[in-house]
Amino acid sequence: MRVLVYGCGQLASGVVRSLISDATEITVLGDERSQLERLSSFPKVSAVLMEEPIMRDYLMEAHIATADAFLALSTDDHENLLVAQIARRMFNVEIVVCHVEEPQLQMIYTNTGLSVVSYSVGVLQDVQFAINST
Amino acid sequence: MFVVIVGCSEAGFFLSRALAATGHEVAIIEREPHRYDLLTENMGMVAMLGDGADREVLRMAGVERADAVFALTGVDATNLVICQLSKSLAASTRTVTIVKDPKHEPIFEELGIDVVVNWVQLALNALEEGMPGRPLRHLMQLQPTAMEVVCVTVPTGADAVGKRLGDLDLPPESIVSLIIKHGHASLPTRQTVVEAGDEIVAAISIGLEQAFYDIFTGV
Repeated sequence: MRVLVYGCGQLASGVVRSLISDATEITVLGDERSQLERLSSFPKVSAVLMEEPIMRDYLMEAHIATADAFLALSTDDHENLLVAQIARRMFNVEIVVCHVEEPQLQMIYTNTGLSVVSYSVGVLQDVQFAINST
Repeated sequence: MFVVIVGCSEAGFFLSRALAATGHEVAIIEREPHRYDLLTENMGMVAMLGDGADREVLRMAGVERADAVFALTGVDATNLVICQLSKSLAASTRTVTIVKDPKHEPIFEELGIDVVVNWVQLALNALEEGMPGRPLRHLMQLQPTAMEVVCVTVPTGADAVGKRLGDLDLPPESIVSLIIKHGHASLPTRQTVVEAGDEIVAAISIGLEQAFYDIFTGV
């Protein structure tokens, strides 16, 4: 299984660490050098540093065409939606997961062939539950 | 026509002024309070303070009845989201945007954006014209084909000088459409003889520039 992870913030790093196994090869794309160095020290994890705004070239460098899964997990909702749609529509990656922080965007983009996830929806529910249960 | 313009710095500002001046109804969505004040108080424009990447804001600005939405925030990914949210509100609204990353142009078109302006590519073409002694000019892209119209000026001493067009080894995907000799434009034939100073206007496949250029300028 080859997994591409777009983003190297807290969420992306946490997911990478939880995915590490002998059977999974992970490539992380991000713009923070120190974070990428830390992640690529794990076995079977490699990193691509994105320094210029030419997204498509970096995706090719990470061999997106042969990826089994693409996870857009950066801290920028719009970037995630753009790159996830590129992975799905231009490179036909089978499993595409896209994280957005804005719950509204999750609902709108759910019927575009992407798995759109948002922990903020869970947070909202938890908050409502905590308030209602007092 | 009624248009919504999202993002009102350089491009958005001049576009909204030009459209308003020609009688169109323009609604602006601007996120920056300072710019918003400037637009509404100093210039008397119709604007809304808010985030254009929010579907509710787009709806309140009137996207559902807009003939066109221009996403001009300066951030490619945000522009894509604005166009897609607008389409989700009103499928018939024409969406127009500018991309900064030239490689996003075909991607945005594939993702359903109606008009994608490739800012950097346009600027590059114009800048290239400024190169001294460079006789190949990009005149226009021929959408939706993968061709473009270029113009080559034949330099003195080029191999092609004195030859007939029909005898030149032109690539198959090139159509010489116009030849300008001594300031007069005419339709070329296979018998037309190339002279120094001629301007050759042709439609060619994108990527053939160099081959085409070499044929008319090679020595």
